[in-house]
Amino acid sequence: MNRIVRLAPALLLAAAACAAPAPTGQGGTPASKVGGSVTFVATTDPDTLDLHQTSNPVSSTIFGWIYEPLIYQDLDNTYKGLLAESWAVSSDNRAITFKLRKGVTFTDGSPFNAEAVKFTFERLVRVGAKSPIFETFKNIASAEAKDETTFVLNMKEPSAPIFHDLQTAYAGILSPSAVKAANDNIGRAAVGTGPYKLKEFQTGQQITLERNADYKWPPALFANRGAPYIQELRYRVIPEPATQLAALDAGEVDVLGLAAKDLARYSADGRFKIYDSFTYGLTYLGFDAKRPPFDNAKLRQALSRAVNKSEIVQVVFENKLAKVSCCPIAESIQGYDPKLKDFELGYDVAKAKAGLDELGYKAGADGLRATPDGKPFKPVLYTSTSDTHGKISTLLQAQFKAVGVDLQIKQLEAGALLAATPKAEHDLYLNGYSWNEPDMFSLFLSCDRIASSNRVLYCNPELEALIRAGRTELDQGKRMKIYFDAQKLTMQEAPWQPLYMPVSKTAINVKIQDLKQGQAGGLYWHDAWVKQ
Amino acid sequence: MGRYVLRRLVLALPVLLGVSVAVFLMIELVPGDPATVLAGDTASADQVERIRHELGLDQPLPVQYLRFVERLAHGSLGESTRTHREVLLEIAERFPYTLALALGAVTLSTVVGVGLGILAAINRGRAGDHVTMGIAIVGLSVPTFLLAIVGIIVFSLALHWLPVTGARTWQSYILPIVALSLHSAAVKARITRSSMLEVLGQEYLRTARAKGLRERLVILRHALKNALIPVTTIVGLQFGALLGGAFIIENIFGWPGVGRLAVQAIFNRDFPLVQGTVLLVAVAYLLSNLVVDVLYAWLDPRIRYG
Repeated sequence: MNRIVRLAPALLLAAAACAAPAPTGQGGTPASKVGGSVTFVATTDPDTLDLHQTSNPVSSTIFGWIYEPLIYQDLDNTYKGLLAESWAVSSDNRAITFKLRKGVTFTDGSPFNAEAVKFTFERLVRVGAKSPIFETFKNIASAEAKDETTFVLNMKEPSAPIFHDLQTAYAGILSPSAVKAANDNIGRAAVGTGPYKLKEFQTGQQITLERNADYKWPPALFANRGAPYIQELRYRVIPEPATQLAALDAGEVDVLGLAAKDLARYSADGRFKIYDSFTYGLTYLGFDAKRPPFDNAKLRQALSRAVNKSEIVQVVFENKLAKVSCCPIAESIQGYDPKLKDFELGYDVAKAKAGLDELGYKAGADGLRATPDGKPFKPVLYTSTSDTHGKISTLLQAQFKAVGVDLQIKQLEAGALLAATPKAEHDLYLNGYSWNEPDMFSLFLSCDRIASSNRVLYCNPELEALIRAGRTELDQGKRMKIYFDAQKLTMQEAPWQPLYMPVSKTAINVKIQDLKQGQAGGLYWHDAWVKQ
Repeated sequence: MGRYVLRRLVLALPVLLGVSVAVFLMIELVPGDPATVLAGDTASADQVERIRHELGLDQPLPVQYLRFVERLAHGSLGESTRTHREVLLEIAERFPYTLALALGAVTLSTVVGVGLGILAAINRGRAGDHVTMGIAIVGLSVPTFLLAIVGIIVFSLALHWLPVTGARTWQSYILPIVALSLHSAAVKARITRSSMLEVLGQEYLRTARAKGLRERLVILRHALKNALIPVTTIVGLQFGALLGGAFIIENIFGWPGVGRLAVQAIFNRDFPLVQGTVLLVAVAYLLSNLVVDVLYAWLDPRIRYG
């Protein structure tokens, strides 16, 4: 669920630019706006600032300020050059040639060039097993630095998701000289080309980033053509939600994501402005589709009809922090198509009951159903220990009871849940994904991932063929059609019942000016400045 | 006494070894392995296996333990699976904050607790006794986390005197120390009172008074010294426990101590770090118990160690 944070750094760079013109100083940065600080909250320490050695969301948020990838995803979801000026894909779709930006330097003073890109990607393949983009880079046959500004990525087979992975914070380019100087131990010695550099890492307390005054290569869509205005960014480690709120009230932090219960209070507080944004993902109810009884699609369909998504969004999120989802690809992600709503099973208690009756799950005197062979039908739902998942599970229990199914709930701590699901200990599974690419199908519903991230253990050769086609098709129109079909099939087969797309509400101190938002609500900071 | 201390320290070694074996076995029982947690929810089975191999978790358990002992013999507790830094370094960064909190809380709670206990004992049955014991009951009843939150609301949000989180300034230490102290001060007040009452009835105090000693000297020099023996035990145990970290308080105040480190390590299945912090707690208990035993001899010369 935290992947949105990992994807945020690219958004941070992709700012919609309409700041008021101001007298410019060195590097195009108006001197009058420079200064101040912004303090964010981190619930834990970033485990490491080595972007090849982690999938930690706090780490990836910080990567976005320090490191820059070759490309970024623009407001319209298209990919544009960041450290690459342009690129060309070979006719067989197996090689991408990047022309790199000239005049870029790392914050240790060393030059950015094709050798640095080659060094970075080769290191990722060598040490990056913990990186979420590692699997994609296993498809790389070779990386070549043709000359100072020409870099070629050769792939074993065409890969459409590679552009997505290349724009994540995890694909930021490292300074080879800084890595060598740190003896490959860059967990506390992060050096990139980004708008900020690491100033101080106070374990358990705060990470401080300092403005890179030499930065002068922001994406073209920014009004600010030079270094960022804000002098310092701080990530203060505060694990406890109540303390986070107190710190916001006391002015110790400036930016904080809000829970539904706190929205009214902070919306009415003139010191803050509330920003809405969508998450690139959704929360779903899954069935263990590998073993009986949920290997039967009809049973999955019947129970899917018992789920009242609107009630979940209303009761748990007060209709504020979530939006009902119809389809496997969330509304915020490329590949979502509202026409798919026609294939949604929909909430229908009568049809759910009829489906269960038809399958032989008859209700007893107490209204609860038994399996066709006469045993009590008590499917077990596995979910995390999060408060939100607990509330949703309780609601689902009540909704299932209305059709005579006695749902049992088992909440497990995250690590235990990750270990339990590949072993098929569950009947149902409540969790979410966050992945800004329609290829999320290959992570969460592919036969290849049965023993790992496909936690509903669903394997359908027809869907598998579509997933494979989607991964290798580079024509966007054709690719989206493939994902339309994949979603339709998934909605009919019902290994998942998409429930809702989370909506974030962030309170930000009004001292921060000219903060912009993209279509999905992502926050863009490069034009922002602090009113002193 | 020197030989006694040395013998206790030598005996501590098998205890620590036993603790390390127990923790190693307990860790095996925890569901979820470090590789899966590290790889995250999108990782493939190959990725998880590769991480498991990198961490040496694909080796049999006795081999893993022997490697741990081998590293320990070389003065290393291994590397954190998440941060890739030496466990000793991770703990060393956090320990000064925990030590400061523990020292502050133990000092404050002892001064306040013992003071209130004496006050109650010498005013037995009178208003002073009722008021101080009333305060002690409140201290025992109010949960530490509640006190911490009320402290933040009053002193940080309403009065703006103290910061909400962190350990950056001396003011940051006040709320966590006070919050941690209240409960233990109450315990010490009650123990001091009952212990003092027992001592105050002894013949040797009557003798002291008969000799014409001032009441203040009778109480502080003669009565208190003997009454402090049970209090010393409590101080030692509390200090040992606090050195292992006070997770709730550290969590509320965003305090960068060992408690938070240990709990986070458990959630992350960062087993080398869990081992390291548990060993730290064990050492803290052993040393604080040793100090308590040595203090007994000073407080009561009849106690001798051979």
